[in-house]
Amino acid sequence: MQRLLSSIYKELLVLIRDKAGLAILFIMPLVLILIMTVIQDATFRTVKEVNISMILVNNDKDSLGEAISEGLYASEFFQIVEEIDEKEITEEMAKELVAKGDYKLGIIIPERATDAIRGNVNALINKSFKSFNIAGVKKRTKKSTIDVTIFIDPATSQSFKNMVMSSLKEFTSQLEIEMFFKNFSEALTQLMPDQKPIKFESFETIKYKEVYASTTNDEILPNSVQHNVPAWTMFAMFFIVLPLAGNIIKERDDGSAFRLKTMPGSFITVMFSKIFVFLSVSFLQFILMLLVGVYIMPTLGLPQLEIGPHKIALGVMAIASGLAATGYGVAIGTIATTHEQAATFGAVSIIIFAALGGIWVPVYVMPHAVKIISQFSPLHWGLNGFYDIFLRGGDLWVIAAEAGKLLIFFALMLFIAIVYNNYNKTK
Amino acid sequence: MQENNHIIELKYLTKYYKGSNVPAIDNISLNINKGEIYGLLGPNGAGKTTTISILCGLFGPTSGNVFIDGMEYQHSAEKIKNIIGVVPQDIALYPSLTAKENLTFFGHMYGLKGKHLKTRIEECLELFGLEKNANRRIKTFSGGMKRRINLIAGILHKPKIIYLDEPTVGVDVQSRNVILDHLRSINKEGTTIIYTSHYMEEAENFCSRVAIIDKGNILTEGKPKDLVNSKEEYIDLESIFLNITGRALRDE
Ligand SMILES: Nc1ncnc2c1ncn2[C@@H]1O[C@H](COP(=O)(O)OP(=O)(O)O)[C@@H](O)[C@H]1O
Ligand SMILES: [Mg+2]
Repeated sequence: MQRLLSSIYKELLVLIRDKAGLAILFIMPLVLILIMTVIQDATFRTVKEVNISMILVNNDKDSLGEAISEGLYASEFFQIVEEIDEKEITEEMAKELVAKGDYKLGIIIPERATDAIRGNVNALINKSFKSFNIAGVKKRTKKSTIDVTIFIDPATSQSFKNMVMSSLKEFTSQLEIEMFFKNFSEALTQLMPDQKPIKFESFETIKYKEVYASTTNDEILPNSVQHNVPAWTMFAMFFIVLPLAGNIIKERDDGSAFRLKTMPGSFITVMFSKIFVFLSVSFLQFILMLLVGVYIMPTLGLPQLEIGPHKIALGVMAIASGLAATGYGVAIGTIATTHEQAATFGAVSIIIFAALGGIWVPVYVMPHAVKIISQFSPLHWGLNGFYDIFLRGGDLWVIAAEAGKLLIFFALMLFIAIVYNNYNKTK
Repeated sequence: MQENNHIIELKYLTKYYKGSNVPAIDNISLNINKGEIYGLLGPNGAGKTTTISILCGLFGPTSGNVFIDGMEYQHSAEKIKNIIGVVPQDIALYPSLTAKENLTFFGHMYGLKGKHLKTRIEECLELFGLEKNANRRIKTFSGGMKRRINLIAGILHKPKIIYLDEPTVGVDVQSRNVILDHLRSINKEGTTIIYTSHYMEEAENFCSRVAIIDKGNILTEGKPKDLVNSKEEYIDLESIFLNITGRALRDE
C-alpha cells in the first residue's frame, strides 16, 4: 500500500512538473472543443439562414403534392416560390428560371401523381387478394411511374442534390405506405365483414408508426454541441497517449525504469499507478469538457449540452474510454524506443482513429466501406456510447456493448505491453 | 543448497546480445564470498555492465546459471530483489523531482517507511555533503552530485548485497574518497559489495578480491596483492592487464 501510494504520488509530481504535458492534457482539449463547436455551429447556421430559393410547381394538387410542399415549407431551408406576378409557374418557366440561375432548384410534381401512387398501391393489394376476388377493388396490372422532375442549378454541390433527392423519395414512399395501409385495411374489411373495425385500426396504427419511426432516423441526429462535446472529449482523452507514452519512455531513458526493475514488485506497482493517475486525468478532462458543454457553450450562443438522466452510465463510459486511452498509451510507451516514434505514431494513429470514428465527419454520412472500418476505432465506440446517453437517454444496459469493447481494448493493450516487456527481457 | 560461504555464484555464464554473434561475456565462472568487496575490472566493453545486469536480474544469460544467496531468478526473483541494492552506471533518477523526493520514492519502493526512512535519507545526504541540496530538483545538479544521489538511492535500505557499476566515474577525488569510505563502513556491517571499475589503482586498495576481464573473458582472478606478487614483471593491476593483453587499459 505504501509502495502504491508513494508511486502514485511520484507520478503526480512528475505530471505536475511537466508543463508541456499538462498543456496537451488540459488546454488543448478546451481550445479544440470550443473552436470546433463554434465553427460547426456557424456552418450549420449559414445553411439555415441562406434560405435557398426554389420553385415549386405543384400540378398534382393531391396528397403527394401536399405532402411534399408541406415538407419543404416546414424545413425552413428554402424560400419557396410558386407564383410569379400572380400567375402559377409552369414547368417550362421553371426550367428556364433555374437554368438562368435565378433559382437554385425547381421541383415539378406532375399531374395525377397521387393517383398513380394510389393505382400502384391498389395493384399491389389486388395482387395479394387475387384469390379472394374482392369486389370494389379495381383491377390494374400495369405499374405506373411517377416522374417528379427536379431542375438543379449545376453549380450546387453533390451533397445538396443528394439531400433533395432523398427527401423527395422519402415523401413519396411515406405516402405510398400510408395509402397502402388505408386501402389494405379497407380490403380486409371487405374480406371479413364480421370483424369489428376497431381491431384493424389498432393494427394499422401500430404498423404505421413503426414504419414511420424507421424512415425518420435523422430525428435523433446530434446537434453541434451534442456531437462536439463527446467527440472532442474522446479525442482529448486519447491524446493522453502522448504524455503517458512520453512518461514511460522518459522513465526508461532516465534509467529509473532500470532501477525499478531491480526492486521488488515494482513494475506492476508503477504501471498500476501510471494507469491510475492518467485515468484520473482523463476523468478530469471529461468533467471539464462536460462543464464547458453545460455552462460555457450557452454563453457563446451555442445550444446547451443536455446530460440526460443516466449519470452512472455516463461515468462508466468516461472510465471505460479513459482506460482504453491509458492502455493504448502504456502499449505505445512500452514498444516505442524514442519519444519521436511514440509521438509520431501516437498522434497519427489517434487522428486516424478519430477520422474513422466520426470525430470530424459523423460516421452515418461515410461511405459503406469506411463505415465498416469505423467499427474498429475505439473513438467510435466511445462516441457511440456518449450518443446513446446524450441523444437517446441510454442507461447502463444500452452502453454496455460499447463500454465492453473499450474495456477489452484496454485489456488487450496491457496484454501486448506485458508480453512485449517479457520478450524484451530475453534480448 | 550450498554448504560454502559463496553468496554469489556465476556458472559458465555466457551472454549474446540480440543480433550480435560476439558474446558480451563468454563462459564466465566466479564465486563471491559473503562479506567481500569484489571488483570486476576491465576496460570499456569488457562485459562488466552485462555481468552486473544479469546479477541484478535485468535479463537472463544466454546460457549458464547465477545463484544469489542460493537462489535463482527463474524461481525466486522477488526474494532476490529484496536483498540486493543496485547503483547503476548511468544515473537512474527522476530529473524533475528533488533529491529528497527521489530518495523517498525509492526508499518506499524498498519497503522503508516513515520516520526511519526520513532519518536514513538525512543521514545519507549529510554523509555525502548534500544536505543543503535536498530540496533541489535533480536536473539542476552537477554530474558529481547526481552520482552521489544515484549511489544513495541504491544503498538506502542497507541491502545484503550491493552492486555498484562504476560508481566513481566523473566524481572528484574528495567525493570519491567519501564514497569509498562509506562503502567500506557498510561492508564492515556485513554487506557484500560487487563493484566494477576501470580505475585499477582504486580497486587495488578497495577490493578484497578482483577479476580482471577483457572482451567477455576473465584474464585473471584473486586478491590484488597476490596477483601483483605472482610475477616479477607485475608492478600493479594495471601492468597485469598490459602484460596479458599487450594493450593499455585506459582509453581516456
Ligand atoms: N544492449 C546491448 N546490445 C548489444 N550489445 C551490447 C549491449 N550492451 C552492451 N553491448 C556490448 O557488449 C559488450 C560488453 O558491454 P558492457 O557489458 O557494457 O561492457 P562494460 O560495462 O565493461 O563497458 C560490448 O562489446 C558492448 O558493445
Ligand atoms: Mg559498463
